[in-house]
Amino acid sequence: MAERIEPDLNFVKNIISSGGGSLKKCFQCATCSVVCKLSPDGKPFPRKEMIHAQWGLKNRLMGDPDIWLCHQCSDCTAYCPRGAKPGEVIGAIRNQFIQNYSAFGFLGKMVSSPSYLIILLVIPVLILLGVLFHLGNLDFTAIPRGEEGVIVFYYFMPHIYVIVIYVALVMFAFFSFVVGVVRYWKELLKNRKEVESPPSGSIVGSIVGAVKEILLHKRFKKCGVERGRKISHLLTFYGFIGLAIGTAWATVKKYGFGMMPPFPLSDPMQWLTNASSVALFVGLGMIIFNRLKDKSKAGIGSYFDWFFIVILAVTGVTGMAAQVFRLADMGVSAYTSYFLHLVFIFYLFAYAPFSKFAHMVYRTAAMVFESHTLRKIPLAAQADK
Amino acid sequence: MVVEKTKTVLVIGGGMSGITAAVETAEVGYNVILIEKEATLGGRVSQLNKYFPKLCPPNCGLEINFRRIKSNPRIRIYTLTEVEKVSGSEGDFDVAIKVNPRYVNENCTACKACEEACTTERPNDFNFGMDKTKAAYLPQDFAFPMRYVIDRDYCSEEDCGKCIEACKYGAIDIHMKPQAISLKVGAIIWATGWNPYDAARLDALGFGKYKNVITNMMMERLAAPNGPTNGKILRPSDGKEVSNVAFVQCAGSRDENHLAYCSYVCCLASIKQSSYVREQYPDAISTIYYIDIRTPGRYERLYLKAKQDEKIRFIKGKVADIEEDAATGDLTVAAEDVATGKKIYEEADLVVLAAGMVPSTQQWKIPTDVSYDTDGFIVFTPRGMHAVGCAAKPADVYSSVQGSTASSLKAIQSLVRR
Repeated sequence: MAERIEPDLNFVKNIISSGGGSLKKCFQCATCSVVCKLSPDGKPFPRKEMIHAQWGLKNRLMGDPDIWLCHQCSDCTAYCPRGAKPGEVIGAIRNQFIQNYSAFGFLGKMVSSPSYLIILLVIPVLILLGVLFHLGNLDFTAIPRGEEGVIVFYYFMPHIYVIVIYVALVMFAFFSFVVGVVRYWKELLKNRKEVESPPSGSIVGSIVGAVKEILLHKRFKKCGVERGRKISHLLTFYGFIGLAIGTAWATVKKYGFGMMPPFPLSDPMQWLTNASSVALFVGLGMIIFNRLKDKSKAGIGSYFDWFFIVILAVTGVTGMAAQVFRLADMGVSAYTSYFLHLVFIFYLFAYAPFSKFAHMVYRTAAMVFESHTLRKIPLAAQADK
Repeated sequence: MVVEKTKTVLVIGGGMSGITAAVETAEVGYNVILIEKEATLGGRVSQLNKYFPKLCPPNCGLEINFRRIKSNPRIRIYTLTEVEKVSGSEGDFDVAIKVNPRYVNENCTACKACEEACTTERPNDFNFGMDKTKAAYLPQDFAFPMRYVIDRDYCSEEDCGKCIEACKYGAIDIHMKPQAISLKVGAIIWATGWNPYDAARLDALGFGKYKNVITNMMMERLAAPNGPTNGKILRPSDGKEVSNVAFVQCAGSRDENHLAYCSYVCCLASIKQSSYVREQYPDAISTIYYIDIRTPGRYERLYLKAKQDEKIRFIKGKVADIEEDAATGDLTVAAEDVATGKKIYEEADLVVLAAGMVPSTQQWKIPTDVSYDTDGFIVFTPRGMHAVGCAAKPADVYSSVQGSTASSLKAIQSLVRR
């Protein structure tokens, strides 16, 4: 059947300018699809993504589960005979994807461009400074102390303000994600080809399966060139989750049980958060080290990628610094760190649907689709089922 | 005053390109010194079973040229010889060469008595190590000069006693020493040729690990009547006849991680080799996995002919993984068939890697001021010197011969230029 091809040249330009500069080098030899251990047998990737991107076939890529099933192991990039770096190109396509699907997608353009960095950082700084001004806490040397004169961040910035701001942000991000996932899912169904069966069985089962796979990081195990990926991502992932749980728990203790922070270091929850911080730091350290070490084989990564890594790291560092300075009774440093920590958390949450953070949601969606349509099972085996 | 110029051209490399340059120059009436690193002339061409496009055996071309050499007193040949130093300028070069010992002198009649007496063996590099020869051996059936060689790396003085005894002509001299010779020549033609790419560096393709993964040059030897299997294509692991052969194109070529250029001949070589399979085993299937089939100019006909053959399949998709069934020695090659967009895993009992061409000057640099391109081919030579054949670019026999003939005229100009 004839199909009208409508190249979107802007889409091609955007991929090239956002980290996929090697795109046009690809000559379709398909080495990448074979060396990729995550690529399924029916309709494998990333060879087809490369030609779709070269031709500007945006619609096909926007309804393609494979751009998210790619975990950027970079085996394709290492073995590519042309230096076309399919791993990097698909990363750039994901960036375009996020701008396309997340509600308020213009923020995606801002998050992936260095020229907007200052504006994006100024927004949370102004909001938080406004709160401090309202509280009369702009003089960091005159913040009231707690019992025995210890530093209590509660007096600097009462949690209720933090909660109001951050819950609003989370809801904003959530909304944007829901819109994005719904749009993506529709497009996935529209683009479904013969290699995927019609959706069948319980969607809940598919979701549970996908989440389980993510928790165990099974796919990273198959990476060849970037073997370190699994452990570094695992540490970052669980470090982040541990910290999120710790923060939520502190809030519950304060408002649910009326317990006043700061909690002593002997509190098991403090152990968890500190252990999680260490995991996060080690994981991110490994990611940065491996990226720099393997840049000639696997590519250096885009601004978009690095930006997310740096924001995560800075969030962790400022959080840790706030705790250390608090315990060391260094008031101004402690408040400043805490303030910056809040700025970066704002950043993480508010821009989650537009930064690489979004991979958590969209990759999960793609994995659910994959399992729901038996995508990863070879065709012959599907017939037997 | 007119400076007396030497009327001699030096040709380095005794393969098809070098032989052609030497013969063409000498037949015009100039002196030629032809130097070859190996023990026999013939180069890579002498290792082929057939050459394309006519599919005739290379011995016919070589034999004619050998006869032209024999009947021309102007050509002097040094085998087992290397160039050590080059100085001077056009019309007046001084070249120092080193003649390595053959341990067999001119008295040799190739009567085979030493070989029969010899008890030690060496891997046969002419057949890429697929069989062995005695340490006293004839380099190949069509050796030129037709004279034995003794490989002293594989035989002790004590072993050598037996062959000295066996030789009725007093041809064996195990105390031969390397010999330094100075030459005065007016022009130099570099015809240093090529080596197959080291396929073991293609880690996904299993060469060196799986016995039934061979290179295209090994396939030539398997199919050649003077090869290790007397011309029968049998797979190395168990000597089984083949029924399903996979040809993996661009094994090293067109790959920035290996050879960034197209080696020009490999598509044609694989098409040619599929005809060897077809000839010996009418029911056997050959599958050629490719990125693009490159059969330039008139060679396209060869491709069109092969495409009509139902036993020869062409699949667009580069093989990027080969696995072996250790019990049977059978192989599975993996590729994405770009036409269908599906990954395929196909069985083969023999896999032939179309290994690319590496200029010899990649490893050995010419001891004078020539410049190389990024791939190691000679791109510029000083006045009075010329690079031909695969020293200059990846090329087929046909265009190498043309280029060599042209360089012959250029070299003569260097001799007579005033």
